Order: sequence, then structure tokens, then C-alpha cells
Amino acid sequence: MAGSGNAMSGYAELFCFSNFTFLTGASHPHELAERAAELGYTALAITDACSVAGIPRAWAALKESPVKLITGSWFELEDAPAGAAIPRFILLARTRKGYGQLCRLITTGRRRAEKGRYQLFFRDVETHELDDCLCLWLPPAIPDADADQALACGEWLCRLFDLRFWIGAARPLESGEEQQLARIRWLADQLRCPITACGEVHMHSRERQPLQDVLTSLRHHTTLESAGHCLFQNGERYLRPLPVLQRLFPETWLQQTLRIAEACTFEPGSLRYEYPPDLVPVDETPAGYLKRLTREGERRRYPEGTPLQVQGLIRKELELISEMKYEHYFLTIHDIVAFARSQGILCQGRGSAANSAVCYCLGITEVNPANVELLFERFISRDRNEPPDIDVDFEHERREEVIQYIYRRYTRERAALAATVIRYRPRSAIRDVGKALGFDPALVEQLLDGIDWRDKATNWRQQILDKNLTRNPKVADQFFTLVNTLLGFPRHLSQHVGGFVISAGPLAELVPVENAAMADRTVIQWDKDDLESLGLMKVDVLALGMLSAIRKALELISDQKGESFHIQDVPQEDPATYAMLQKGDSIGVFQVESRAQINMLPRLKPETYYDLVIEVAIVRPGPIQGDMVHPYLRRKHGLEPVDYPNDAVRRVLERTLGVPIFQEQVIKLAMVAAGFSAGEADQLRRAMAAWKSHGDLTPFREKLVTGMLERGHDADFAERLYQQICGFGGYGFPESHAASFALLVYVSAWIKRHYPAAFYCALLNSQPMGFYSPSQLVQDARRHNVTVLPPDVNHSHWNHTLESPDRHLRLGLRIIQGLSAGGADRIHQNRPTNGYRSAAELRRQAGLNQRDMELLAGANAMPGFTANRHQAYWQLLDHEQPTELFAAEDPDDYQPDHCNQLPEPTEGQNVVADYASQGLTLQRHPLALLRQQGHLRFCLTSEQLKTTKAGIPVQVAGLVTGRQRPGSASGVTFVTLEDETGNVNVVVWLETARRQRKPLLTARLLHVKGVLEREGDIVHVMAGKLSDLSHLINSLPVSSRDFH
Amino acid sequence: MLWLYLHFPHLLLDHIRRNREDSRPLVIVEGSGQRVIQACPDARDQGVRAGMRLKTAINLVPELGMVRAQPEQEAQILEDQARWLYRYAAHIVLEPPDGLLAEIGSLQKLYGGLPAVWQTVEQALNEHRLTAWIAIGHTPLAARLIARAGKGECTADKGHILRALETMPLVAAEFDGKTCTRLQRLGLNTLGEVFALPATELARRLSPETLARIQKIQGTRSDPQTPWQPPHSFRQQADFIQEIEHTQGLLFPLQRMLSELEDDLCWRQQDTDSLHLILRHRHEEDTRLRIQTSGPEHRAEAFLNLIRLRLEQQPLRAPVVALVLSVKRFLGREAPTGQDLLGESQDLNEAWHTLMSRLQARLGEQSLKRLSPRADHRPERAWSASEVQQKHKTRLAAPEHLPRRPLWLLQGPQPLTEPPAAWFAGPERISGGWWDGQRVHRDYYIAQLQSGQLAWVFRDVREGWFIHGWFG
Repeated sequence: MAGSGNAMSGYAELFCFSNFTFLTGASHPHELAERAAELGYTALAITDACSVAGIPRAWAALKESPVKLITGSWFELEDAPAGAAIPRFILLARTRKGYGQLCRLITTGRRRAEKGRYQLFFRDVETHELDDCLCLWLPPAIPDADADQALACGEWLCRLFDLRFWIGAARPLESGEEQQLARIRWLADQLRCPITACGEVHMHSRERQPLQDVLTSLRHHTTLESAGHCLFQNGERYLRPLPVLQRLFPETWLQQTLRIAEACTFEPGSLRYEYPPDLVPVDETPAGYLKRLTREGERRRYPEGTPLQVQGLIRKELELISEMKYEHYFLTIHDIVAFARSQGILCQGRGSAANSAVCYCLGITEVNPANVELLFERFISRDRNEPPDIDVDFEHERREEVIQYIYRRYTRERAALAATVIRYRPRSAIRDVGKALGFDPALVEQLLDGIDWRDKATNWRQQILDKNLTRNPKVADQFFTLVNTLLGFPRHLSQHVGGFVISAGPLAELVPVENAAMADRTVIQWDKDDLESLGLMKVDVLALGMLSAIRKALELISDQKGESFHIQDVPQEDPATYAMLQKGDSIGVFQVESRAQINMLPRLKPETYYDLVIEVAIVRPGPIQGDMVHPYLRRKHGLEPVDYPNDAVRRVLERTLGVPIFQEQVIKLAMVAAGFSAGEADQLRRAMAAWKSHGDLTPFREKLVTGMLERGHDADFAERLYQQICGFGGYGFPESHAASFALLVYVSAWIKRHYPAAFYCALLNSQPMGFYSPSQLVQDARRHNVTVLPPDVNHSHWNHTLESPDRHLRLGLRIIQGLSAGGADRIHQNRPTNGYRSAAELRRQAGLNQRDMELLAGANAMPGFTANRHQAYWQLLDHEQPTELFAAEDPDDYQPDHCNQLPEPTEGQNVVADYASQGLTLQRHPLALLRQQGHLRFCLTSEQLKTTKAGIPVQVAGLVTGRQRPGSASGVTFVTLEDETGNVNVVVWLETARRQRKPLLTARLLHVKGVLEREGDIVHVMAGKLSDLSHLINSLPVSSRDFH
Repeated sequence: MLWLYLHFPHLLLDHIRRNREDSRPLVIVEGSGQRVIQACPDARDQGVRAGMRLKTAINLVPELGMVRAQPEQEAQILEDQARWLYRYAAHIVLEPPDGLLAEIGSLQKLYGGLPAVWQTVEQALNEHRLTAWIAIGHTPLAARLIARAGKGECTADKGHILRALETMPLVAAEFDGKTCTRLQRLGLNTLGEVFALPATELARRLSPETLARIQKIQGTRSDPQTPWQPPHSFRQQADFIQEIEHTQGLLFPLQRMLSELEDDLCWRQQDTDSLHLILRHRHEEDTRLRIQTSGPEHRAEAFLNLIRLRLEQQPLRAPVVALVLSVKRFLGREAPTGQDLLGESQDLNEAWHTLMSRLQARLGEQSLKRLSPRADHRPERAWSASEVQQKHKTRLAAPEHLPRRPLWLLQGPQPLTEPPAAWFAGPERISGGWWDGQRVHRDYYIAQLQSGQLAWVFRDVREGWFIHGWFG
């Protein structure tokens, strides 16, 4: 059996699981690829179980290497022909056609089973065309099947694949191997087919055996201790060095691997995206058609004639698009957007190519190139052969219509969502490794809760020892190593938020399609990085709540004006709108409504559209960690001169006064200031995108800093730039996105400023969305002099409405938690002209069930004919006869059914009941009640704080509406307190927080003694002493109801 | 009838704390380890509440100790309490998970008045180091509600009891969730306000069940209670927050458990001659000990001496997380039972039991083992000599899947001193066991030695050759 010792020309591994065979393979595809290259393999096949998900990553790693990548997949069937053992085999794609056949078969198996599984029967293999695939049969182990069953199985496959059939023989050095090899030889004799060597590889190196054992234990839902024979006997299923292979396999078996590898000519890089041809009229070329559409758009956008500068821009862009052959991409997006327009669905494009003059003319974006100086060329790169990227946001409530349109237009055969690979994160990795090692789950949870995830320096090993998870320091070391290795391993495929892949031919021949968790959704086996590395195009169809709200507000405004009013009709650069934003009055406004943004607005004082672009991008980890915020603010307000080290840098940073704010600028700077080549800059960009999961930015640091020092920049700036790059990692926010978002910021702010009632009404009708609860929005609305009326069966619709003639905001019945939409609709539809006169009439006319009636009573939504909510409820509870929809009127219906034993609701009771039923109250705020009762004697209101001098000690109290520990603020907790006049911002330093954990973490009503701090219009209370006043809310008559 | 209700606000905690002095704040967490179920007074002082997420609790009290709850254990502990209460009152009802109800009307005379009964119970609670809120009611529900509200008083006055009930907040009255919400929506806050509503209206507008419940509280409707029957065996369990590493640490909880056993035996008027002791470990299998006395015995001290001797002989295999003491065989005190081996009257199980205990008594318990296979690739761990009545935890492959192994495996590998005459099979590589520190990495061969013997030999990482077993 020993090798002949002759020099052999190489080896092709044809049986190799990557970690995309979940809980089985213990190495990443790229690790396998790199190891195969190191060992001098001729070829490597990645053969995951009914999947090609690992292929793109292996391919990316082998692109530059002489090792050939073979695409294949491993299958285990559910049944077998009569008398045969269950077939297990590998199919390898010989050509592009064979690859398509393989994808088809995988798709069949995956689509049939629930998410994450597959199911294939022997009939499938017979009915699918597989004439361009090679088959490697893995005969059953001796105890599993007798010789006849094995032979029957082999005969069946051999008949199907004929000369494309091999028997695979592995040498895992396990007990009974001699007998197994003898049987394989006998089978080959009987079938007259060749035997090929294979490694049954589960890991790239033997060192992964512990992890492989852990994965096996997890797959069997057990611990290592009791996994027993489920584990492999040894760690031999790795990529072996050639000399070892020569010792273990006969020369001829090794030669067969090379023959097979040679026969497989398919290369993933040859997958070309073929655009759906449907979009272009028969008599036109794609370029001509795109040009025509752009012309038409131009006339619509610029009825007075296109500005010269824009004309030039359009010409240049069309040339570039033509050159790169991207016409279909733009046409596809145009088609989707045109559909949305035709349905009145608001949408807005963003991303690298979205803010171009062409996209403006095609209606993909509203960002007018005449107003903003955005250079398209910056966004489509001629050098990097990388597809343009346009994300389109749609109204969140109506995105489904768009998705269904795409499925209709291209059919499910040709359109599917991209996958998102869900990977092991620290928490899940610690949990699972802990499980396999048999740690106590409660202790593991405790460990997880005890770890400060932001503190990278946390010494897990010490913590594990401290927590008594194990007394054995060796086990702790192992634990640590295993967790670190498992990090970043794929766990399962999930669906991408909205990335569609659309193809010309059947998609299932380009990439396998499988089921997603959501019914009726299918995903492909690749994620967006895979698509990018193979140069395939995807279209992002995303959902955005603010677009729903804006569309609804525009409708209300149209209604008020008596003529239709569109987003284009919003006047530009309205000073009143900017004045409002400068005060930080931005609750409900898109993107700039968070606490941090509200604090930034008065400091940045946006005056123009471009200021908003910066505003959107500046309150992000990138600029904050890079300490770029203050320099920018100083320069904007003229407190510091704006200068540039040289012209190259000036070109990059001029728009942002010499301070890098956007991700594009940082990458550009790496080129002009640190001498990165275009390729290196591209690597940097990718590393930044991948940083959150597994990327590493440290290799770039050295290069960046030295590069910048060499070119005469100071070290401090270089270091800050590096920090900024780290901050962008995973949260990259490019200018191209900010530009689109800023437009929505402006539009929503304008509506808030000029049509507040419509603004809040639309926001409330688009819930859930945004930062604030309906209660907070309603309070803000009232502070903006909008009259808000309670829900009432005689006035309300399902949605919130503006009531003529005064445009008062009438809360809709949807505010009543749990009320059925159907019931609410019937209340509105069947309402008599003069309104309902009794509960019985309401129940009868609207056909309401008891549950809905009780909810209405609880909401006090029948003020027209009930004395108060208690009495209303008492009446409802009397429902002896089931009420029929068309039952005759009963005179008793209108007799009040009063119960004297029931108490009148107090104001406090009403407030609490309102919160319970609607999550908000239109009565007085609970804090106003407490203040009146004298509980908050020395506390100032939010309103009073505005006129209080900085630096003096103050006391405040309020309902805790938010506790926040942002990653960018070291150890500080921000607490938002709500009182009857607004919100108070409390800042709690780490030390204070540590000493007063209990009130900080548990109080629902918090009292704070502290010092008032002020910066311009921004007011904070620096907390000193915290006290929990929650018992005061309990002392409102009914206890145990929570205010959220 | 008059009812006494004992509400244990943190029974599991008391159970754990009385087995070990530990001043750390302590909580019980639910099985998945996410939420707090019970918190000790110390933890509560620092803001920890039942129902809170464990994460928040740890943020509040970083040094928090915790124990995971097992539902069956909780039921067991409650039953333990019923057992001692049964000595004072014959009619006891279990109210899982944390309450006991006892009929005490008939006891007043026996103890000489209600205060004496009350005092007796309080004293017993003290002795057992348990916290309980107790209350008296003229109905089972009245006693329960008042006890759970912590408002119990030593009085049998019905008017007084009703007044206490009337001031009780609605949420404390334990109506089902829907009824409670409805009553709250009517603006009612106390049980008294509910009592005031007309009965017919209540039944009509809420439900007949609601009315029935109110009447059961008030005592205008009967509420029969089935008495609890004490079990026929004795079982006590102690759980430890911190693992106990030394025998000495086990004696303290054992002392208490054995004295409870003594009480139990006295009350049963019976003796026993065998105790079962199970020591639970975190990772290893349980250690099971059977303690045999020379004759019928009931004294805690006698038992303790025997156990101490036994534990001294046999050091702990691993730290102990829990201790279970059980007695299933009771012997009448008056006459010794006849035990003739394989006698007609005994069934086979009893005969097996007798044989085992005789053999164990004769040979020493350690000497009696049973051979069984274990699922492990490492040859030395692929079998075990386990105690006679033990079950397996590992999954064993079907026999035909088991690897080929020699019948005679040596106690330990012995160096191979001569080159074998012939090689038959191999290598078979065994590599595993990294997780428990007993890592093995060997290549096995079957070889014939010069003497003609067929040996199972291996080579390990250090390139040494060893004989590990003999084939027939």
C-alpha cells in the first residue's frame, strides 16, 4: 500500500467541507484554499453539503494562485433504489453547463426543505440533467450496508454517470479501514470503474480537531464529555502534505485525482452577469434607450432648459456608463422606480451612483446636481471593475408591493434576494463553546453579562477563571482559543434586507436558491460580498419609514391646499426651516432627531442643504473617534483658519473646510496624503466594511502613518485619521448616502416647520418608526400648538386625521392598543349621520366583539354616551344575549345602565388608564399631577431649566424615557427624563453611576440633584445624587401599571 | 374550621442558605439563566427583584451569587416542609410552589389556644431556618391571601379577618388576569369594593366563577380541600452555591439532614438499616453511597458516625454541588424482619438486593463492580467498572460499529521490548480527549511477537512503542 516513492506531479483534493457545511466543517474556505496552495496541491474542490456557499470566498483566495478551484457539492439522499444502500456522493461541475446543472439540483433539494435543510430523493438524481457533472461515490461503511446493498447503490450511480463515475477512497486511519478498502477494491472490480483518492477533509489543518469536535458535539446537541463515538476517532480529516498522501495511497489513485481535476474546467470567475433583456424596446440599443429616457427626464426636470454645466455632466456620465456597460443596471433601477412612481409609492435612491445627473433625470433621486456639486466619476470607479451601487429606499409600509412587482416582472425563476451570512459573534461563540465543554449555562450567562464588550482589553481568560466556570487553567486556555477560532464562522444563511439579484436566464443556474425563514421568500446562497467578488449585480430595495410619513404628510397638505403638492414643490433653502433646526427643534425629523443630533444642531447651525449633508454624517463613530468634530465646528464658525497642506489635499477636503468627514474623503486622503495606490485604497475600503465581523485594520496603520509623515503631515493628524478609519469600520457613512438622506431631512423639517399638524399626523400614522414613542410625539405636537383630540367612536377613523375646519389632530382608533383594524373600520363605515347614541347601538351597528368593546371602554372612546370609562365598562359587561349584527333596536338600548357602587375615575386614574390603553394621555402629564400634590417641591421643569443660569445646583425629576451608554462616550450614561414641559438631559459619569446603580437602573421616575451645564442652547444636568421616586407613580390610585 | 397558611417567599433560597453559611447576596435564576426568580433580602435591598433580567441584577450587585432553579426540586422542598408540619396538623394541603395550608381549628384545644398554635409553628420555622409569612383565615383562601400579603395576625375573629381582606388591593386578590383587568377597568381598587357589588350583577357581568371565588374568600361557599398524604419514603436534598471540596464541608449539612431523618423515623415509629447518599458533581457522574448499619437504627449520631467513617475511607472524586439523602427501607421497631436468602416470600428484586448487600458486606463495597462499555475512542476509557446500580450517560454506538479491540486490555501500556515478528493491521490512529486533559495521540497496530502472542501495540507522540493488550 505504501507509495512507490516516485516523484508525483501533484494532488487534487476532491472532497472537502468548509465551514459552510454548518457545524461540520472547521475551516473557512479561504483557509482551505490558502493551505492547499501552501502544500502545492494542483487543485482543490470545495464540496459543502448541498451548497456552493463557500465557493466565492475560496475563489477569491485562489484567484492569483496556481491552484485550481473545483466547484462541487456533497449529497446524501433521503432514499435509495430498491435493495441499495443510501447513496452519498459528490458532484463536481465540469463546465459552466455542469455548474448550472449542479445549482439546479441543489435548488431542488433546498427549496423542498425548511430553511437550512435539504431533501433529495434518488428520483431527483435520475430526472435532473447532470450530464456535465462528475460523480464521486463514497461507498457506505461496512457495518452500515452489506456488500449487495453497496453494490446496488454503486450500480445505480454508475449507470447514471457512466464514464463520469469514480469511487472515492479515503484513509482516515480508523479501525476497520483495511476491510473498507478491500470492499472498495471489490466494488471497483465489479463496476469496472476507477478509484480515486480523497481526503474527506473537514479542516485545513490538524490543529482544528478540537474545534471540529466542538462543532460535532453541538450538531448532536451534546457535550464533548458525552459525545462519545459521535466524534471522529482522530484528526486525520485535514489537508495532508503530499509526502503523507504518497505514503497512504497507491499512485494510480492519486493520478485519478489529477485526471478529474483536469476534466473540470469550470471557473467561478467566468460567471458573467447576464442582464435581463426585457427592459429595452426591441428596436433600440440599451445605450440609446437610456439616452432617450435621460433626455425625457431632462425636459421634465429642467423645463426652462438644462443648465450648461448639467448638460456636460450628463454627457460625461452617459459615456462612462456606456464604457462600463452599465446601461442595464440603470435601466433596471429606473424600471423599479417608475413602477413605484406609478403606484404613488415614494422612493429615493442613494449610494455611489445614485446622486448623478442621469439618476436625477431618471427620477431615481431628487438630489439636483445643479445644487450640489457631486462628481459622478467619484462614485463609479473606472479602475476598479466594480459594479455601481444604488440603494433605493421605499415607503416601509409599501415596499412589499415593490418586491412583489419584481417577482411578477422577472418571475421567481429569475429574481431572488441575496443572502446574509449570519456569523458567530462573541456572545454566540462563548455560549456554544461553553455548551460543548459542559459549562453551567447560568454561569456562562453571568460571564456574558459581566464582560464589557466595548473594552477590547478584557481578559476573558481571567474572567472565566474568576467565574468558577472551570478550575482547570488548561480548559480556560482551550476555551479561549476555541472561542477565538469560532468567531466569524458562518452559522446560517439569512435573507438580506433587500438586495435583489435579477438574471437573464434562470437564476437557479447561476447560483442555488434556497428557502428563507419568511414564507414565500427565497434567497440565493451568496451574500453581497460574494456577489461583489464575482462581479454580479444586485439591486437594493430597502424600506424607510420616513418616506411613508412624508408621503402621508404631503397628502394631508394637498388636501388642505386643495391641490396636489409634491416633494418637488417644497421650496428650497427655506430660512425658517433652518432657523428651527438651529434651535435643535427636530423631534420627528428624519435622521437628526436623536439626542446626539439634537445637541449637534445648535452647534453646527445648518444654513444650507450641504450643511445638512454634513450634519447627517458628522454624528457618527468615524468623525467622533477621529476627533474631527470640533475642528470642523471651529472652522465653520471662523474660529480657526481653514488651510490645506497642498492642492491635492485641498481638492479632497475643500467641501468640508479641510476636515475629513466622509468615508470617501478618508480613503481619498489615504491616497493623496499617505501614498496608497488605488488597489491599496480599495483593500482599505473592503477591510473597513468587514471590520465589524472579522476584519483587521492594523496592517494599514503603519502604512498610513509613515506615508503621511513622509509627505510632511503631522503625526497627530495621521493618528486621528487612523482612528477615524477605525470608527468608520462597520458603520461607514459615505457622502453619497448622506446627500440623499439630507434631502429627506430637509423635506421633513420643512413640513414640521410649516405644517406641524400634518407632520405629526403623518408620523403617528407611520408608526412604528423613528426614535420617539407616540406619547413623545403627541407631547411635542402640543408644544407646537397642535390641538390633539382623543379617540372617539363618533369622530375617529382607524388612522389619525386632521379634522376640518381647524385642522385639529384627531387621534385615530389605531392608538387603542389591541383594537382590531376590522372593528375600527366598521365603526367608521357604519357610523350613523348623527353618531352612535349608545354602546348597544355601537355594538350592533359596527358588529363589534366583546374584546373590541372593552378596549373602546378602556380607552374612554365613547364620551358621547357614557359618563366615564368605569360606567362604560359596566355597561359592556352586561352582554347576556349574543348580539346579532342586524338585531332589531331595543328601546332599552338607550336607557342608561348606571351603577352607583362604582367610583368616579380620578384624574390620576384616568391618566393611568390612558397610558394602559393608548400608551399616552391627553390629560395632564403625571408629573404635573405630582407637582401639584407637592411631591416635587424643589424640582425645576425642563422649561424652567432653559432660563436657569449655568453652573448652579438644580433638582429635576421626570419619567425615565431613555438610558443610553453610547460606545463613543467613555463610560457616560445619558438619561432622558420627561416632564410635563419637555425632556431633561441628564449626564451620569461612570463613578456616579457605579455608586448609584440601583436608582439609575431601576427607577421609572427619577429625581436628580445635580449641576446645570449649558453650551449655547444645549442644557444638561450633570448628575450628583440620584433617587428613585417610582413609588410616587405607584401611589397613583392603581398600582403595578408601567409607564414606558 | 380555621385555616393556617404558610407562605414561603423564598423557599429555594432558604433551602440553599441553611446548608451553607454565605453572606453574599443570593438569587435563584430560572433554568435558562436569563431571569431572577427569587432574591434574598440582601439582594432586594440593592434593588434586585424577582422577574428582573439577570444582566440587570448583576449590574446592580456585581458580587451576586446565584443558583439555578429546577422545578421538580422546588416541589420536593415544599413536600419536605409538609412533612414536619404534618407532625403538628393532620389536615395539610400543598399549595405549590410556595405555600402550605393546615387546618388548625381542631388544634386549638390540643395546644391550649390559638396563640400557642401560632407560637409552635413559628418556633418550628425558626428551627428549620425558614422564612414564612403566616396567617389565619376562616376560609382557606382568606388565609392564603392574607398570608401572601404579609398581613397575618393571630386572631380567629371573622370580622377582623374580613376587614383585613377588604383593604387588600385588587391585584393581591389573585383573580385571573382577565378578571383582574376587568375589575380594574371598572375603577375598583380594593377587594372591599368588589365585595360591595351586588352578587347577581357580579355573576352576570363578570362570570359565575368570579362570584364563586369571592364567596369562597368570604366563606359563603364551601371550598373543600383534599388532605395531603405523607410519602412512604424519606428524602432530603441539600444544594450548595459553592462546590464543597472536602468531606468536612459535607458534615455540616448532613448533621441537619440526619436529625430530620431521626425526627421522621421517630414519628413513623420505625427504624432503618440502609441509607442512600448521592453526591452530585458538576461534571462527573454522581457518587452513590449506600450506608449499611449493623442493625435497625434511628439515631442521627449513629448514622453520622458511619457516614464520617465512610467518607474518610473514600476521598471525594470531585467537588460536590448537591447532596441527597434518602431512605426507602423502613423496619418496624418491635420485631426484626426475617431475611432468608431467596425465600419464597421475597420477589426477585428483593433477592437481588439481598445478594448485593451480602456480597458488599462481605467483600467491602469498593470491591463489587460491574463491567460496562463506554462511548469513548480512548481504549482505557472505553470501558468502566461502575457501581452496580448505575446508569450510563454517554451514547453508545451499535455493537457492530464499535472498533476492533483486544479482549484483554492491560491495566496500563507496557513498553514493547522486542521488535515484533509480524505486523497484521494498522496503523489505526486514535487522537482525542483533549477536553479533559487525558489527551491521547497514538498509532495502533496488531503485531505478532517472537513468542507467537498476538499483541495490540501502539506508538505514541514520543515515538515510544508499547503493548496495550492481547488478542486471543
